[in-house]
Amino acid sequence: MNFARRAFLQFTAGAVGGTLLSPLPWKLADDSAIWSQNWSWRPSPERGHVTSVPTTCLLCDSGCGIKVHLVNGNRAIYIEGNEDHPVNKGGVCPIAAAGLQFFYAPYRIPGPLKQTKQRGDIAGFQPISWPDAINDLSGKLSSLRAEGRPQAVACIASDRRSSLDELLQRFLAAFGSPNFYKMPSHSDSTRLAAALMLGQNAPLAFSVENAATILSFGANLIEGWGSTCRMQAAYRRWQGTPGKTTRIIQVESRCSLTAAKADAWIPVAPGTEAALAMAIAHVMIKEKMIDAESISNNVFGFSDWVDATGRTRMGFRTLALAPENSPEEVAKITGVDARKIRELAKEFAAQPSALAVWGSNYGNTPDNIYHDAVFLALNVLKGNVKPGGLVGVAPHVPLAAMPDADLDPIAVAGLGRQRLDLAQSKGVPFHGSGIYGFLDAVSTGAGYPIDILMVSESNPAHSLPENSLFLNAIQKVGTLVSFSSYMDETAALSDLILPNHSMFERFDDVIGIPGAPYGYYAVAVPVQPPRLSTKHTGEVILELGKAIGGTIGAALAWESYEAYLQERVNGLAASGEGTVADQAGLDPAAISTGQVLQTNYEDGPDLWKKLTSGQPWVSAPIDPLNGIETLSGRIELAFQRLLETGGASIDEKGILPHFAPLAPSGDASQFPLLLVTYQQLNLASGFHPNPPFLNKTVFDSILKGKDILVQINPETGRSTGLKEGDAVILSTPQAEAHVRVHLTPTARPGVVYMIHGLGHKAYDEYIQDKGVNANSLIEVQMDPVTGLGTVWATRAQLRRA
Amino acid sequence: MKEDKKKGSGKGWIGGVIFFAGFIPALILGWVVFPSVLFSQKPQPMNFSHVAHQDSTCEDCHSLREDGTYTGIPDLDKCIECHESPMGSTEDERILVEDYIQQNKPIPWKAYSWQPDNVYFSHAPHKGAEMQCTTCHRDVTQETTLPAYYENRITGYSKGTMQMVDCEKCHAERNVSNECELCHK
Repeated sequence: MNFARRAFLQFTAGAVGGTLLSPLPWKLADDSAIWSQNWSWRPSPERGHVTSVPTTCLLCDSGCGIKVHLVNGNRAIYIEGNEDHPVNKGGVCPIAAAGLQFFYAPYRIPGPLKQTKQRGDIAGFQPISWPDAINDLSGKLSSLRAEGRPQAVACIASDRRSSLDELLQRFLAAFGSPNFYKMPSHSDSTRLAAALMLGQNAPLAFSVENAATILSFGANLIEGWGSTCRMQAAYRRWQGTPGKTTRIIQVESRCSLTAAKADAWIPVAPGTEAALAMAIAHVMIKEKMIDAESISNNVFGFSDWVDATGRTRMGFRTLALAPENSPEEVAKITGVDARKIRELAKEFAAQPSALAVWGSNYGNTPDNIYHDAVFLALNVLKGNVKPGGLVGVAPHVPLAAMPDADLDPIAVAGLGRQRLDLAQSKGVPFHGSGIYGFLDAVSTGAGYPIDILMVSESNPAHSLPENSLFLNAIQKVGTLVSFSSYMDETAALSDLILPNHSMFERFDDVIGIPGAPYGYYAVAVPVQPPRLSTKHTGEVILELGKAIGGTIGAALAWESYEAYLQERVNGLAASGEGTVADQAGLDPAAISTGQVLQTNYEDGPDLWKKLTSGQPWVSAPIDPLNGIETLSGRIELAFQRLLETGGASIDEKGILPHFAPLAPSGDASQFPLLLVTYQQLNLASGFHPNPPFLNKTVFDSILKGKDILVQINPETGRSTGLKEGDAVILSTPQAEAHVRVHLTPTARPGVVYMIHGLGHKAYDEYIQDKGVNANSLIEVQMDPVTGLGTVWATRAQLRRA
Repeated sequence: MKEDKKKGSGKGWIGGVIFFAGFIPALILGWVVFPSVLFSQKPQPMNFSHVAHQDSTCEDCHSLREDGTYTGIPDLDKCIECHESPMGSTEDERILVEDYIQQNKPIPWKAYSWQPDNVYFSHAPHKGAEMQCTTCHRDVTQETTLPAYYENRITGYSKGTMQMVDCEKCHAERNVSNECELCHK
C-alpha cells in the first residue's frame, strides 16, 4: 500500500474512532427516532387544564348523557359517556364519540348565506348579516300575511322531540299555517296503533330491561332501535350472570349484527314478520296459552262481537284461528317451517316475562299500521299490557303548557285551511301527520301552493326515504330556508341559510326517550361559546316573531330561547312529579308503575340548575290501562274507531290486526329481486353525515374506494351470474345506480341488501361521492289507513354493468 | 524490501500521528462543536425572577389541583392575581402587563422539562411518594434570572427534558413498574 492510501486509512480510522467515542452519532441516532414527535404540523390541542362539562347529546333522539372535555375551558377535545347518567351509564355510540368532528367540520356554515345565483350553485352563496337575513325572511313572511295566504308557509322539523319543535309549531300557529311536519319515524305509526288499540296517542314503551325473553321481529336492538345507549346498557344487563341471561330471538330476513349476537336467528322472507306473528298468535290461542284472565278483563274484540247496527263482527280470535294464519300456511309465506313456528309460539307463551318488539331493519320509518297492531296484539295475548307489564305507553312529560296563542283574523283564516298533507288523501280513515302526503301535494299542486318551506335540524334532500319526492316538491316552492349548521344537501339547495348553533353551542332539550316506559326529560347546555357567527334557531324564531310583530310577536314574547326553556321547566317543577336522577343507584328501569318518587328539587330555578348540570329528570311508568279512550274503554283488538272513521271502505278484517302487506310497484318479471335497506351504528344515516373517523371503520364489504357494495346470497350470485366484487347496475322502479356486489350467506336468497348513509353529494371531499344513497332507490308505500309513508322492500334487478 | 516498510507512514510514530490527526478533531467535533451547533438558544418571553417572588410559597403557583392534575407552569390567571397593574418598574413586568395581561394573551413560556404528547406523566404519584422537586427540576429558590433555554434543532426538544432512561432508572431503583402502558397510554 502506498503512503497516501495508508495515511488516508489511518486518518479515517482515527476520525471514526473519535466520532464513536463522542456523543455525535449516538445523539443523532436517538434524535432521528424522536424527530417526528415535534413536527409542527402534527395536530395537537393546546396544553392546559382539562375540565369536563356534562350535557346531553343531541345527535339523535336517544337522549344520552355525555361529558365533553375542554382544554383551558375553551376548546372541546373529547366526548365520553357520562358514567353518572342513569340511562346510558357512561356508554356512548360511535357517532357521538366522533361528535367533535361535526363541531370543527370544515363544512360548518359560518354565518347566514343568501343564494344569489341558481339554486344549488354553491359558489352563488353570499354571506349576509344576521339583521339582513332576519329582515329578508320576515319581509317575505309578512308579505304572505298581507296577501292573506299565511298557510303558504310550511316547516319540516327533525324526528327528535324537543321544545324547539314546539316553538316552531307555535310560530306557525300564531302565523296562521297548519303545515308543520316532521321527518318520519317509526313512532309515527306505533302511536297510531296505540291510539287505535289502547286509546292513547302516545309513544309505545317496552321494559326491555325486565324481559327474560325478547322475541324481536326485525328490530335492530343493538344497532340503533329505540334509544341506542339505553339498549346497549340493556344488552349488558341481558348478558347478566351465567344461568340468568335474557334470551334474544331475532326474526329477520338478514343476519344482522343483532341477529348474529342473538341466541337464535329465525330467517324470514322480508315483510312477512307480521304473518309469523299471526301464526304464533294462532298457536297460542289454539293451545290456550294466552293470558285469558287479562284478556277477559281488559280486552274488547278478542271474541266475535255485535256492533251498534246489530251486525256480528269477527273478533281477533276468529281471524287468528283461520287457516290462513295456521303455521302450515304461514310457513309458505315466511319460509319458516311450521314446526319452528309452533316451537316459537310455545316458548314465547311459556316464558314468564317474554316481550315482543318490532321494527323494520331500517327502523326509522313508519310501519304498516296493521302490522304494528299485530305485534302489539301478540303482547296483549301474552298479557304484557298491564300495570307493571312489559308493554305500555310513555308517560306525558308535564312541561309548562304554553297558553294558547292569540290569533288574529289572518291566522284564523289560515289555520282554517286544510293541512296540505290531507289535500290528496281522500278516504284515509285514520290520519297521521304526513310529510309524504305534504310533499306529494306540493309536487302535484294539489290544495294550495307553498311559498316558503323552512327545514330545521333535518336533511330531507338526502335522508328522507325516496328523497326524490322532496327534490321534486321543492321545485314548486318559492323560497327554501334551511337552519342547518352544515352545508348538507338541503342547505346546498336552499335560497336562504340561517345556520343553527351546533349541539355544543346551544341550549336544547330531549323530551322522552324512544321506547322507554319511564318519563324522561334532559337539557343540553352550551359547552363552548359559538365558534362561528351562527344563531340558535329558537332565537331566530323569536326574532322573526318580533320583526313580524302583532299577535305573532306576542305569542313568542320570550327574551331568549333559554328563558323559554326555563319557563317550560318551571311547569315541570310545578307539577311536583318525578325526580332528578342525581343519586347514584337510581335505576329508571327499576321504577315501578305509579311509584311515588321523592322530588329533589325545590322550584323551577332549582330544577333548571340540576338539569343543566347533566342529570335528567325521570318519572314513573304509568298504567296503560288507565285512561284508555277507546269506545269500549278497554284495549281494543277490534278497532271500533276505525269502523267509525272508515265506514264502508273497511272490510271484515280491516278493523283487526292482520297480515296486510303493501305490494311494491313494478313488474316482478322485470324486477325479480327485492331490495331491503338497513343501517349500522358506525354509518350515520340521519341528519348528521358519517364523520371521517367512522368512515374508517366501514368494512370493504360495504364500501370499497368510492363503490358501495350491496349484499346478496351466493345462491343469488349463481342465479344472476355474478361474482364477488362484480360491478353491476342495481335498478328499481325508482332509479338505477352503479354498485358492486358482495356475496355473503348473511343475505337471504332473492334479496339485495343495501346500507343507508352513503351517497352524499354535499359537505366536503371527505364525505361526498362515496357510494350511493339508498333513499334514491327505495320506494315508499302510503299506508291506506294512515296515509303515512312506509318502507319495507322495493322490487329490484341486478345486471352486469 | 526490508528498508521500505519503515518509510513514510509505515514508520509507527507517523501512523500514530495521522491517526490522532483524525481522532482528536473528531473528539472535539463530537464533544464541543456538535453540542453547540445542535442546540439553538431561544429567549423566554420575559425574565421571571423566583427570588423576587419569595413572598409567595411554591404551592401558591405550583400545586396539585383537586382533580389530581398539576398546574405546572401557571396560567396567566395566576399572574393577574397580583399583576393586574404593574407592581414595580422593570421592563420584564411591563412586558407582562402590557403585552400579555392587557391583551389576555397566554404567555408562551418555553418549558425546560417539556414532555411530548406521547408521554403521560402525572405529578400526583410523585408528590405522593414525597419526592423533592429538586430531584428532577433545577433549584429555583436562588434564581433571579431564568437560565438559557436550549432547543435541539433537529427534534425541537428542550435540552433539559428528561429522557425515558432517566425515568426508568429511578423507577427500577424504587421498584416501580416500568411497563410501557404506565407512561404511554
